[in-house]
Amino acid sequence: MLVVMQWFLLFAAFACIIRLLLGATVSDRLVALNVLAGVSLALLVLWGVKQERVLYLDVALVYDIFGFIGLLAITRFLKDRPSEGEDL
Amino acid sequence: MSIREIFALICFLIAIIFGLGGIIGLFRFRDPYSRLHAGSLCGTTCALSTFFGLLLLSSSIGMATRIVVIIVFFLISAPTGSSIVGRFIWESNDTEQTKKKKEQVL
Repeated sequence: MLVVMQWFLLFAAFACIIRLLLGATVSDRLVALNVLAGVSLALLVLWGVKQERVLYLDVALVYDIFGFIGLLAITRFLKDRPSEGEDL
Repeated sequence: MSIREIFALICFLIAIIFGLGGIIGLFRFRDPYSRLHAGSLCGTTCALSTFFGLLLLSSSIGMATRIVVIIVFFLISAPTGSSIVGRFIWESNDTEQTKKKKEQVL
């Protein structure tokens, strides 16, 4: 059961990576990044429960915190930069 | 298959359904707004039901409490992240639909 879930989450992560590479505008890439953070967090917790190692769950919590702060930093950085064509 | 595993199986099935729906939506929609909706649907709901399934399958108490902490923080960070990305899309007016939307609103 856990293996099926693991393969499905891996498939979802690859789909997000493809969406990230294909994304034409910056906003599509940010959307894909946001989904990728959630899916990889679920993968980390799943591996933590599967191998009964409690350490992975701590890693997952810290990963979630930094993923969120990283997303904030990226959007703050991209906001000040004038996007293609128009100046903000 | 104990009771806990049956409930965990139900949670995983929900996760798979929402995950597939989100991924298909992520690829089919053209507007970044609707992609954001489909993406955050997949990212938040699929991950959340996976966490609930894993919470049922967790072997020790220490693991269960850690998963609950992760669920609480994930519920705070994921929707906020999605709304921040939405605000970014709205302000960076990449597409012409965004301009039209802005005229309607302003």
